[in-house]
Amino acid sequence: MNTDKLLEVENLKKHFLPEKKFLEASSTPILALDGISFTLHKGETLGLVGESGCGKSTAARTMLRLIEPTSGKVRFCGTSLLELKETEMRNLRKEMQIIFQDPYSSVNPGRRIGHILQEPFEIHGFKNKKENIENATQLLEQVGLTSDYFTRYPHELSGGQLQRVGIARAIALNPKLIVADEPVSALDVSIQAQVINLLLNLKEELDISYLFISHDLGVVEYFCDRVAVMYLGKIVEIADSQQIYDSPQHPYTQALLNAIPRLGFGHIKQKTVLKGDIPVSAILPQGCAFQNRCPIKEKRCEETIPPLKEVAPNHHVACLLKH
Amino acid sequence: MLLSPELEVQNLKVSFSTPRGKRIAVNEISFQLNSGETLALVGESGCGKTVSALSILRLLQEPPAEYLSGKILFNGQDLLTLNAKALQDLRGRSISMIFQDPMTSLNPVMTVGEQIAETLIRHTPINRQEALQKSADLLHLVEFSSPKEKLNYYPHQLSGGMRQRVMIAIALACSPKILIADEPTTALDVLIQAQILELLENLKKETRMSILIITHDLGVVTEIAQRILVMYAGEIVESGPTQDLLENPFHPYTKGLIASVPKLGFQKKSGARLEEIPGNVPSLDQRPSGCPFHPRCVWSMEACKTQNPPLRQVETQRQVSCHLEPGSL
Repeated sequence: MNTDKLLEVENLKKHFLPEKKFLEASSTPILALDGISFTLHKGETLGLVGESGCGKSTAARTMLRLIEPTSGKVRFCGTSLLELKETEMRNLRKEMQIIFQDPYSSVNPGRRIGHILQEPFEIHGFKNKKENIENATQLLEQVGLTSDYFTRYPHELSGGQLQRVGIARAIALNPKLIVADEPVSALDVSIQAQVINLLLNLKEELDISYLFISHDLGVVEYFCDRVAVMYLGKIVEIADSQQIYDSPQHPYTQALLNAIPRLGFGHIKQKTVLKGDIPVSAILPQGCAFQNRCPIKEKRCEETIPPLKEVAPNHHVACLLKH
Repeated sequence: MLLSPELEVQNLKVSFSTPRGKRIAVNEISFQLNSGETLALVGESGCGKTVSALSILRLLQEPPAEYLSGKILFNGQDLLTLNAKALQDLRGRSISMIFQDPMTSLNPVMTVGEQIAETLIRHTPINRQEALQKSADLLHLVEFSSPKEKLNYYPHQLSGGMRQRVMIAIALACSPKILIADEPTTALDVLIQAQILELLENLKKETRMSILIITHDLGVVTEIAQRILVMYAGEIVESGPTQDLLENPFHPYTKGLIASVPKLGFQKKSGARLEEIPGNVPSLDQRPSGCPFHPRCVWSMEACKTQNPPLRQVETQRQVSCHLEPGSL
């Protein structure tokens, strides 16, 4: 694997302050992102997985500064993003693009597909109209749509076709990094495979690195080289795909993998279903955030917040019992 | 198991009036739900699975919906001929339903207890006090801790998984014969999904009800259903026992659907790609001629373009609608 660092995230935090309630002195901040660190290498695909509310989408958005983080560091190709001015940041956005979950709400319903695809070029100062049209047409082909779609409106396209448009727009300016936030979750099963294959093909053709956010561990295993598992704003385990799936260490990762319904072929598995719910992140328990659902909890888990430690080469786990 | 049908759907055909004319959403489907079984209706969005389920309880708004033909037999009665009063007596008492999004199905300004009690009071001769007591029992049944206290909660105070359990408690309040579950776990996280599936499984054992579950997730089907019906473009294209059908699909669509799901434990080799079904799910406006799947089918032949193959019996428990011989895929 190429070891050039593309994206370095260090102790990134985002706290949301809910609106103050009547007669309340101050509101408790919600720790949506509670200090995450990782590195994405060139050409690599890193999966970010977890349940809803674990902070995976907040992570993606703060990294791209679509929302401003509370603290932390993000370096992209060595440049520290959080110190950049708005104009400098906009220039750099060519290099880092995002694909959203719902293709319908991520495009302007009043513009034709052709216009939507010319927009990236216009925004980044490509003035030659004819060239922009040519480029947009070529993008359509690249994502497997015919040039007929150029004059259509978003409502005339199916979800899968529109997600292809979203992908075309993301690759328009030859980015180095694409953040894909649940890119196939809103699509039908038979269409998901098409879009996943398209993303894989583009990765090979264009040498793109992906940060792939998903709650679907089946898709992530298929797509990603490395996986980070998040729980309540923290990374609880990060390792190569194969290691995570073959020997998950954190009890939360184990529970997640255990809970996925599998297309069973002859085996009936013995399942341990985890009880309890994800706590509201404003009122976290002391110590390990997972303790109220953890099947192997001990006394010390109530006292110490477990740090993320290396337990095997390139395999980091945040669990006191595994250190 | 004794295979007596609890519910029988015969040649059900449902259409919707649209500004562009009548569109068939469910095209002459027939199936039966056996007593004590869990049957899964599987398909992608727009294939007619939810319309079929809503038809059973006559929950579609008429018009635009219209029942063009067919019978839905329950307890010797054809549900399509019942009047509004009889239907209200039936809903929630003999046949109950839970929906995908528990937040929008619950009343946000009523406590959980009142909502469960409401169903009990409507269908059984019981006073408010007894109904609330029974509601607490029901919350206990769906595994709430301190159920008495939870009676006074409003839906927004509960998590998604808890709300869905309240929905299940309401559905089970009058011990129905049949539970229809429309994508009951789709809006939930995997860990909560596992809890709900396990709960449904346990409840079924206790109450011996029949469950019709509607889902697009073949994994969920494997977990919970004994038998599967696969729907495509308003028609049932294949049916059979879960294990058998998933291991040895006869219809090209079923086979494609199974192959396009990334399976856990099958690690990607570099350059390997998922098998995909080409094309798109047809909308009601552009239903293909002949077999509705033929434009996306790699085995498509001349006959497929003009003749829609009927659903035929190929083995004792297997049916398929395809011109190809079963097993030739």
